[in-house]
Amino acid sequence: MDALATTALTKRYGHHELPVQRLARRLGRQPSGDVLALDDLSISVTEGEIFGFLGPNGAGKSTMIRLLLGYLHPTAGSASVLGRDIVRDSVEIRRRVGYLPGGIALYDSLTGERLLDYLGELTGRPPTRRAELLDRLEMSARTLRRPVRDYSRGMRQKMGIIQALQHDPELAILDEPTEGLDPLMQRAFYDILDDLREAGRTIFFSSHVLSEVERVCDRVAIVRRGRLVALQDVASLLERRKRNVELRAADGDLPALEGVPGVSAIARTADGRLTCQLEGDVGPFLAALAGHAIVDLTIEPAHLEEAFLELYTDAEPEDGEAKAAQTAATAAP
Amino acid sequence: MSRALFGHLWRSQRTKLLVVAVAIAAWSVFLPIIYSSFGQQIKQVVDSGIIPKQLMNFGGGDPFTLAGSIALGYIHPIAIILVSIFAIGFCVSAVAGERQRGTLEVLLARPVSRRTLYITELVAALLFIGLVLLAAIAGTVIGSAIAGVSSELAVERLPILWLNGMLLWGAFATIALAASVSFDRLTPALGVTLAIVVVSYFLEILGSLWSDAQGLQAYSLFHYLKAREILSGTIDPFGFAVLAAVAVLAIGWALVEFPRRDLAAPS
Repeated sequence: MDALATTALTKRYGHHELPVQRLARRLGRQPSGDVLALDDLSISVTEGEIFGFLGPNGAGKSTMIRLLLGYLHPTAGSASVLGRDIVRDSVEIRRRVGYLPGGIALYDSLTGERLLDYLGELTGRPPTRRAELLDRLEMSARTLRRPVRDYSRGMRQKMGIIQALQHDPELAILDEPTEGLDPLMQRAFYDILDDLREAGRTIFFSSHVLSEVERVCDRVAIVRRGRLVALQDVASLLERRKRNVELRAADGDLPALEGVPGVSAIARTADGRLTCQLEGDVGPFLAALAGHAIVDLTIEPAHLEEAFLELYTDAEPEDGEAKAAQTAATAAP
Repeated sequence: MSRALFGHLWRSQRTKLLVVAVAIAAWSVFLPIIYSSFGQQIKQVVDSGIIPKQLMNFGGGDPFTLAGSIALGYIHPIAIILVSIFAIGFCVSAVAGERQRGTLEVLLARPVSRRTLYITELVAALLFIGLVLLAAIAGTVIGSAIAGVSSELAVERLPILWLNGMLLWGAFATIALAASVSFDRLTPALGVTLAIVVVSYFLEILGSLWSDAQGLQAYSLFHYLKAREILSGTIDPFGFAVLAAVAVLAIGWALVEFPRRDLAAPS
């Protein structure tokens, strides 16, 4: 069953605005009118998976999250979260979802403990995971007795994570969850995600840190200018990526790799090294090396970052490409 | 209405509420004493022509009776500033302030509908205003007793005076809340609300001091606060209806506009 599904979800700011609303928007410095923030986006997130949602600033990530949680109203299309319609059942959705906003702001005058109590009371569900989360994120009882205004950025982020997960939500929507966390706390957070995955919880994970997405996510969607440009499981996305290869041979006896399937961008340097890019099956490449006195060979693993950058340095996706991504999205498990 | 949110609002405002209630009670104690101690001397000064008689129309006129002096106290800038701390300050920041600080994000991530949020803030605002006005009434009773003029005070009419005050400040509170749910930042919400209050006050004062401008008073909400008339035994149902109608319109606007509007990510 899908924990989250969107169908042709579209958000255009400034659409059918009344004059008084336009005035209010301008005075309130809201986004300028008639901006297409999300365009015909269709994805589905399966229950129990950790789903990465990627894109640079302004790509539409926050708009998507805000639509799912009822902060924004869709201009067209539809979406459901945990089987509930995002427009009709927003309150019920929020009862079952935990949300960590990017750059979270907290009530500074409250103590950490009072803040968690208050947000827990508003949620109306017992904070069954709070003690465990406090322990794993090393938030002591003494720290919780201090006002939030005294907290460091990292401590605020931990409080954000705890408030989002303390009631053990069925779906957690996390926007840049490791921002401000030190490496030890990042590792503790990844462990928490692993536990949530084992417990069958679904995580919708938006992040700029691609190494982290690569590490924790099962599938990723990449959005660009409000449109979906890729939706794949991380393993197959990496499988298709070109790996950088560098080799050195004794006495400059470099193999001729031209025409070898999967090998491209071949270059020979003055100091006797050969660099190239390798895609897909390594068999033909290794066969081409046979008989040469290779003294050093490095094949860098493919990273999500390269896939991401490749998608972003490409030209604007054609309609067909976008449609193909949409089709893949709706056909996803 | 959300009990958790209401509890949070009560805890965050109770100290301020206590301070404002004590301050307005003290102000209200002061007025009957001034009337009792200096009323006749002031009347003689006015009668001598040193002070233009027209100035005595401020606050509904007749400052030389207990009812008139109490009415003057209700429309005096000190009372207005004290009640405005909740009727304007609290209400304007109720949503726009949370939005500007970014805390509305975590609040609306909970199963709380925007209408529930609005209604809870409205109930809290009306409770705070009601308690402040109750403190003012209590101050009036205590002040009259201290000054020995309790016999001149129509105690049975004080609940109607409280209701009239509630309607006036409730109307301003609903306007402030309507502005608060309509803007993403505190400044425009506060600006719009203060403009309405200040213009309203200006029209009332201008009309009371300058007979040619009396017609403008009908456009001021302060004109429908009839403290002197109520304490003297007259009730103006039309004034009550005007204030109630303004409040209903502002509530209606907020209940329609707030759930419909987009809340973009805080900048």
